[in-house]
Amino acid sequence: MRSNTVGWLMLAPTIAILGIFGILPFIYVLYVAFHQWNPFGANPDMVYNGANNFRRLVFDGEFLFSIGVTIKFAFFAVLSEIALGYLLAQLFMREFPGRGLFRTIHTLPLIVAPIVVGSVWRLMTTPSIGIIPYFLKSWFGYDLNIGRDAGAAFTLTVLMDIWHWTPLVTLTLLAALLSLPKEPFEQAQIDGANRWQIFWHITLPMIRPAILATVFIRLMDALRTVDEVWMLTSGGPGAATRYVGLHIWKIVFPKTDYGYGAAISVIVLYLTLVMCWLLYVALVAPRQKKQEAE
Amino acid sequence: MIRKSGIGLAAIALGLMAGTMSAKADFWSDAGAKYQGVVLHGVTESTPPSNYVKDVLAPEFEKRTGIKVEIETTSWDQMYDKAIKDMEAKTGIYDMVYIEQDIIYAYLARNFLVDISKSLKDDPSLKSPDFDEANFTTFANYFKNAEGNLFGIPMEAFIKVYLYRTDLFGDAKIQEAFKAATGKDLKPATTHEEYTQIAEFFTQYGKDNGLELWGTTAQAHTGHPASWYEFFESIAPTFGVYNWGIDANNNYAASVANGGQMNSDKSKTALKYWLHLRDIAPPESAASTWTEVGTTFAAGRVAQGLVYGENAAWIASDAEKSKVVGNVGVALPPTDPAVLEEVKSGTGYLGYYDGGAFGLPITSKNKEAALLFLQFIGQDSVQADWAVAAPRITNTATYDDPKVIDMDKKLNGYYSMLKNEGKLFAGAPPFPFHAQVREATAPIFYRILLGEIGPDEGLDQMAEAAEAELTNLGYRK
Repeated sequence: MRSNTVGWLMLAPTIAILGIFGILPFIYVLYVAFHQWNPFGANPDMVYNGANNFRRLVFDGEFLFSIGVTIKFAFFAVLSEIALGYLLAQLFMREFPGRGLFRTIHTLPLIVAPIVVGSVWRLMTTPSIGIIPYFLKSWFGYDLNIGRDAGAAFTLTVLMDIWHWTPLVTLTLLAALLSLPKEPFEQAQIDGANRWQIFWHITLPMIRPAILATVFIRLMDALRTVDEVWMLTSGGPGAATRYVGLHIWKIVFPKTDYGYGAAISVIVLYLTLVMCWLLYVALVAPRQKKQEAE
Repeated sequence: MIRKSGIGLAAIALGLMAGTMSAKADFWSDAGAKYQGVVLHGVTESTPPSNYVKDVLAPEFEKRTGIKVEIETTSWDQMYDKAIKDMEAKTGIYDMVYIEQDIIYAYLARNFLVDISKSLKDDPSLKSPDFDEANFTTFANYFKNAEGNLFGIPMEAFIKVYLYRTDLFGDAKIQEAFKAATGKDLKPATTHEEYTQIAEFFTQYGKDNGLELWGTTAQAHTGHPASWYEFFESIAPTFGVYNWGIDANNNYAASVANGGQMNSDKSKTALKYWLHLRDIAPPESAASTWTEVGTTFAAGRVAQGLVYGENAAWIASDAEKSKVVGNVGVALPPTDPAVLEEVKSGTGYLGYYDGGAFGLPITSKNKEAALLFLQFIGQDSVQADWAVAAPRITNTATYDDPKVIDMDKKLNGYYSMLKNEGKLFAGAPPFPFHAQVREATAPIFYRILLGEIGPDEGLDQMAEAAEAELTNLGYRK
């Protein structure tokens, strides 16, 4: 009984902070989502409108497009970061001259604020003055214009995200790889397993929890990306990079459609949870069942 | 005796005069004495006039009154975001907010701002002897309510002008080539056809001669409202489409079917004209807002363009930032001749008269100290240096200051144009739903820019979207 009280007392500050900064705002957003509320409307007050905001978003082409393009962005960015991060982690496992220096340089993007990353990439990609369009034109005769080419703008936002966040994946997977015991690998080599077999049957299963945790973190981050993309493309050209975070921002702030923006926020949170749950079910549950069966 | 008395009286009179002068000279320190320790916070867009307030006027005010002023200069979007959130949530962080002319109607509708005229009348001890609302140009009228009370101290006022390169327009070889190509003399355009011809000529000229030179600017960002503004506030009016094509007196109609002009034939012609110019503008135009248009012109990459007046001074005179110093001419935007008649008769306008004021949020916790600062930046005495540093004039007397007259020569008559032709331009329409309608229609506009839909179909959709949004907001019945 005493240990329970002490436990709750120790947890109390965390629960209070979570309640004030997490639960209460969420409840408020949920409340607003059921109202029509635009402070610059003819009636600036909050008016209860049932589920109208949720009904509206089902038929809102712009919102559905932003969801689609966000999922596409998250898919390409996270997949590339995991693959590249793993390769880099493997590279850093090896001894080579300047390894420490390279590791340090490689992690530098992580300490740069997203808004700065967006600014730097904007400078590098602006037609006529950017270094990237300059070299693409000089070497390949390709005219890169992110103001006009929707595909190029999308690709650049993915590349920017990869550049910014791959070091995080590398560090996580490097920590996981360094913590692996040597025996199973030595055993496998003695048994004649090739590199692919070692990777598939030993390395991958052993670092699976680290990979999953990283995927979840990166997926949630990618689904709510705003600042970098805002700086680089402002969501353009057209709606090509108007990812859902940016879409919500535009609905809530410039358009001041608070009720509808709140409804979209709630749905996006729900979708994020569902996606993470599906990922969990697809990747973790079968393995648990298999282990239980064994 | 009489003489002695006379001397005595004169001494008393002199003493009284000196006392009065001293009191007047010390108004700022006297008035500021009550507010020692107060720190005023302001938020504004990072523009040359605002940076002058931050770097020069705020420190000067602090020196005179002891009241510290912290001005936050940020991007246009962030400025609105922060100010509106603060006033909406009544947090009282800001004591001054930048009110762009186009947002004043929304702020007044929400009672966000303090009535400056009334506040100074109610408490005369706060009224500076050097501040007088009558000193402002008529631009101040945009910041008044129906009773004529002022809700913002004008601090930025400029027109979007037609800038052209005098060195290129005056080059004998280029003039000859232009004559050969078009059969006309090369001079600043007055009509859309002339402007297009000049733009096409210079873009081709740049290509033929391997120059980084194009015929026109285009504020044609494909994801930022700057492009939307260029069309509706600078291009469409020159074709006779005013107030974004929305008729406030006709149930806020936007579509032709309901009595609006947003998708009228004139509007469609205007859009096609502008899209063509965009196509022959420098490649960065598709990612250009008003800022990048200024830098494109300053980099010497275009022969002519529509440029916000706030950038005109540094483009024409700051050799550290501009490659075209001394080679900048100023003219009225090219216009349809029929529209020019409407403009002269007062029923239309041919371009955008932009600007802003500093307002005092009703939620401010330091209203009295903020009123002092607002009067400080509204005095005649601080205007001339401010106008030279950033091309904005808000007080009538500023036009006659020798420093400004000298600067006007460097700018090839920009200030004279502002003074004499400013009446031909107009600010944004008095809509309280400014950002809401813009955001409802801008995504369609970006699709037009990308060629995903045609200009005719796009404007039809925009008119429909504008009316739907106005209905949703409760303005359109």
